[in-house]
Amino acid sequence: MTTTSVPIVRRVLGLQKAFLAIVLTVLAMALLNLLPATRNDFFSGYNLVESLLKSNSIYVILAMGETVVLVAGGVDLSIGGVMSLAGIIAIQQVNAGTPAPVAIAACLIVGAVVGAVNAFFSVYQRLEPFIVTLGMGIILTGVGQQLTNANPVSSADPAFLNIANFPIFGFLPTLVVVTVLTVAGVYFVLRNTSFGRNCYAIGGDYEVAKYSGIDVLRTKATTYVVSGVTAAIAGVMLSSQLNAGNSIFGDQTALYVVCAVVVGGTSVAGGVGGAIKSLIGIMLLGLATNALVMLKVDSLVLYLTQALTGLIIVSILWLDSYGRKRRREDV
Amino acid sequence: MADVEQASQPLLSVRDVSKAFPGVLALDHISLDVYPGIVHGIVGENGAGKSTLMKILSGVYAKDSGTIVFDGQAIERTTPVLSMKMGLSIIYQELNLVNTMSVGENIFLGRFGETGGRRGVHAKARELLDRIGCKVDTHRPVSELSVSDKQMVEIAKALSFNSKLIIMDEPSSSLTEDEVRSLVGIIKDLKSKGIGIIYISHKLDEIFGFCDVVTVMRDGRVIATNAVSAVSRGEMILMMVGRTIDNEFPPRPDCVEEPILEVKNLTTRKLHSVSFNLRRGEILGLVGLVGAGRTELVRALFGADKVGRKTVLVDGKPVKIGGPIDAIGHGLAMVPEDRKAQGLLLKFSVEWNISLASLAAMSHFGLLDDSLEASMCERQIRALNIRTPSGKTRIESLSGGNQQKAVVGRWLETKPKILIMDEPTRGIDVGAKYEIYLLMKRVVEDGGSIILISSELPEVLHMSNRVYTLCEGRINGEFDPAQATATEIMAKAFEFA
Amino acid sequence: MRRQPSLRAPTRLIGRFLARNPIFVGILGLVVVTTIVEPQFATAGNFHNIIRQFGTLIFVSLGMTFVIMAGFLDLSVGGIISLVAVVTATQIDAIGQGPAIALGLLIGLACGVLNSTLILKAGATTQAESLFITFGMSLVYGAAALIFTQGGTTYLSYSVSSISIFDAINSGSIPLVFFSVPVSFVLFVVCAALLLVVERRTYMGRAVLLTGANKTASRLAGVRVDRSIVMIYAVSGLMSAVASIVLISQVTLASPVIGQPYLLQAILAVVVGGTALVGGRGSVLWTAFGALLLILLNNCLDLLGVSTYIEFMFRGAILILAIWLDSRRAEGGAARMAPVEAPTIAEHDLVEGA
Repeated sequence: MTTTSVPIVRRVLGLQKAFLAIVLTVLAMALLNLLPATRNDFFSGYNLVESLLKSNSIYVILAMGETVVLVAGGVDLSIGGVMSLAGIIAIQQVNAGTPAPVAIAACLIVGAVVGAVNAFFSVYQRLEPFIVTLGMGIILTGVGQQLTNANPVSSADPAFLNIANFPIFGFLPTLVVVTVLTVAGVYFVLRNTSFGRNCYAIGGDYEVAKYSGIDVLRTKATTYVVSGVTAAIAGVMLSSQLNAGNSIFGDQTALYVVCAVVVGGTSVAGGVGGAIKSLIGIMLLGLATNALVMLKVDSLVLYLTQALTGLIIVSILWLDSYGRKRRREDV
Repeated sequence: MADVEQASQPLLSVRDVSKAFPGVLALDHISLDVYPGIVHGIVGENGAGKSTLMKILSGVYAKDSGTIVFDGQAIERTTPVLSMKMGLSIIYQELNLVNTMSVGENIFLGRFGETGGRRGVHAKARELLDRIGCKVDTHRPVSELSVSDKQMVEIAKALSFNSKLIIMDEPSSSLTEDEVRSLVGIIKDLKSKGIGIIYISHKLDEIFGFCDVVTVMRDGRVIATNAVSAVSRGEMILMMVGRTIDNEFPPRPDCVEEPILEVKNLTTRKLHSVSFNLRRGEILGLVGLVGAGRTELVRALFGADKVGRKTVLVDGKPVKIGGPIDAIGHGLAMVPEDRKAQGLLLKFSVEWNISLASLAAMSHFGLLDDSLEASMCERQIRALNIRTPSGKTRIESLSGGNQQKAVVGRWLETKPKILIMDEPTRGIDVGAKYEIYLLMKRVVEDGGSIILISSELPEVLHMSNRVYTLCEGRINGEFDPAQATATEIMAKAFEFA
Repeated sequence: MRRQPSLRAPTRLIGRFLARNPIFVGILGLVVVTTIVEPQFATAGNFHNIIRQFGTLIFVSLGMTFVIMAGFLDLSVGGIISLVAVVTATQIDAIGQGPAIALGLLIGLACGVLNSTLILKAGATTQAESLFITFGMSLVYGAAALIFTQGGTTYLSYSVSSISIFDAINSGSIPLVFFSVPVSFVLFVVCAALLLVVERRTYMGRAVLLTGANKTASRLAGVRVDRSIVMIYAVSGLMSAVASIVLISQVTLASPVIGQPYLLQAILAVVVGGTALVGGRGSVLWTAFGALLLILLNNCLDLLGVSTYIEFMFRGAILILAIWLDSRRAEGGAARMAPVEAPTIAEHDLVEGA
């Protein structure tokens, strides 16, 4: 009866899918352009998927934890710092002789603790999570710098590389498996558990959720712990993938991940989004930036990808705000 | 009309309940009984105390005194969750649903685990919706639903708690005739199952149509509770409106015939091509129920809201008002309804609040003149008798009455031709109210004109030279309050299409 | 209020001043503690050191103050600094120092105006929306810088003229009574003074605070809210440009990523100074002292031989500490960001957590 009318294109495709359509169109056009520098194997399906997965898996893992936080109405900008610190700890511990599983467990615990601290200030002290997690990220980067003297570290043990790179079944790197498991795990939790549904309720309407008897504080706090742990996982994976731990990793990561997740359809206001949506967001942004690199048009391209990322973020969010502006009553 | 067969024990028994907020007594020794299987209507003007009572019953507010017994249990202090679990559900006008989630999940919000996860939730939700004949798919997000369907979801939610008493607050305000019919069917069905229903509404047709018993409230008191068959429409309006005049009002000012403001074909989402005029030196009152469109009208006029169409003439000349800056430029001023959110800068000084609309006038070449600001503030403080330690005091420490005077003073500084006042005396003590009435009189004596919106009928009727009644976005009556009776005027406000 | 008849008026005034501007307590405390622990702190040489540090960071923070006072955020300052740096540096030989600097300032201004235009056109009313739009623009400006220089770093050459403005900014000083005050400090004082005048004495400055306090009420009262939004971003862009020029003077090179670290520090200085994140309360004066506190802290930690990394950690900790203290002090709300407007989601985007 009184459904708000939505433009056909958006109704059929959805914001992120409209964007996907655009990106694919652009790629097709580029192909038709037949630039001499374009490499043919770009469009070999396997290559595309493989390279996309490889370069974006870490972002995907980060995005999963961030999604949980965003859905419940919070935000976590410390994931970059957690990631780099976890990687550093993993490598340093392994180099010091700690058995790998213990080192990894230590990293996860660090991630959880960071999440708890974030939760204390953001949820219980009701400070603005944007600033709290931003500050936490800075602190962790500093810790990382202190531990490594701001130099990259790497593992002496070649087995360390196996954590991320060992090909299961002969072709699937562990990293990919871990990524898939993380996505599946978060998908399941958000969709099928009380905790997950409560997150949506809290993000959707805090007051209604509270009046319905949901323990809003504890739920929100848990989301930050989850985010911390997934960031730690990402850190371990990254340092293993590259065999390098560097406090410089994760500098701009947090905002990039949040933006990509928002592009995918998870809202920064909470209550909307999910694992698959965020996955799409990361992939789309990754695809767009990757496409240019692989087209190898010019060395300029590398910088164009940054410009493109920025433009995409601005456009999508601009459209989002504009849509809201048009629906509002007031001038 | 069903026979009113009352069970021996009331489902809900309210005795001498009172509730006061700072400056206002919302409920004054309320007593009423609600029986199972009975549709109990509650009517009253804006501010009669209906929603306060409901919020106490559902646990949002705590009562100050009195007793409440529900289903044999005395209730001292409850929370929304507790009262739902006890079997008392309330369906608010602003529906209590999470828009971003699905129907099924909203019904079982916070009870996901208990109901067997995703499958269980939707299966049980389906069952409940079928019980009330609602065909909505439980997977659809609530935001997609029409208001009527959303209400169904709320009813299903109430049923899921095995509610014995369901309170409905203005349920039909956004429904079409068909939807109302279907709602009535569901209510009758619930009634036959022994569930008690409290039905709050302005629509007297509905009260007479399917309620068994009706309670009339006014000024925080219960005036009477009768079987619907025992009271007439006219009597009911009289009960809602009639009162002893406690307040004094200054004599009505004189005014001339010629219009200073003409508005034609004002159309917005809520307003349907409204036209009216305002005469020079007049106080024009806008009367109507909440949601009739009074505030929408003045906001649209002032340029605060988007409009579909509007034609405005000031002093006979057509003007374009695209936003507040235009409006102010043409001599309009508006004291907004929501003082705290839209009128005051709480953490700033009285001075800054008063000078807010006059900053441009206060500056030479972009630089502010502090002395002008101070003298402006002094002037208004003295003229309006604003009680404040100094102009530099933070305005949030002033009483409501003085805060309101500061806002009025802000606009008086702009020497407006047309001053719009939306609920100017809401939440203000009697003494300050009278001062504002005198102020209004002074404004028109000095040549200005006022558009007055107020939910306090005596105020509007005694202050205005002329009164328009609004209902459902249309002006449907024009009265001279000196000649017409309050009942006549209010009847128009209740005249739904 | 405690009644102490023997308390003299000046002392009470000072007490009230400190209570309203707690940043001074922090600074005083820090100075006292450090002097006790490390007496070298209070030497003239160290003082000069400190003054010299009033560089890039402080200009950016000054510009950021207005934005935050109005209840918005500008995350594009890093990108603007980089862009201005590379353009100015590369154009010195082509068009001369003066014109190159002017060009740089113009670019900063233009970026700011572009930011505000996008925000206004989008109808972005919340802080979160401005956050993302300016973050995206930061990437765009940074990319522009990268493309402009093809990724390379430019070194400033002074071969063109024997008198170099940049050299002056970097190491020149103006003799003033006993001290020779570094040019960069003078520049800072001039900028801060100008901005303070704008903030306290102009219509626009007042409009900024009003917008941050209650945008709705201000709009309804006819305050030019939209114009003030343009102004805050323009100022931020311009100050970023100034910061950039000071920066390249000091490090004598311009790389396309040079602006990156300054965003966080600028926000830090503003928040530490006491300006409320949610808007409606603040002052460039406070930010100046917030930046001073950070510089003093750095200096103190340096003298104590603390590693730079721990200093880095300190910054993050201070950020959190600052807003925590602020939230306890203010009557609820200074540490909170403006609430995010609940979005109206396109219907089909809503499913149960896909």
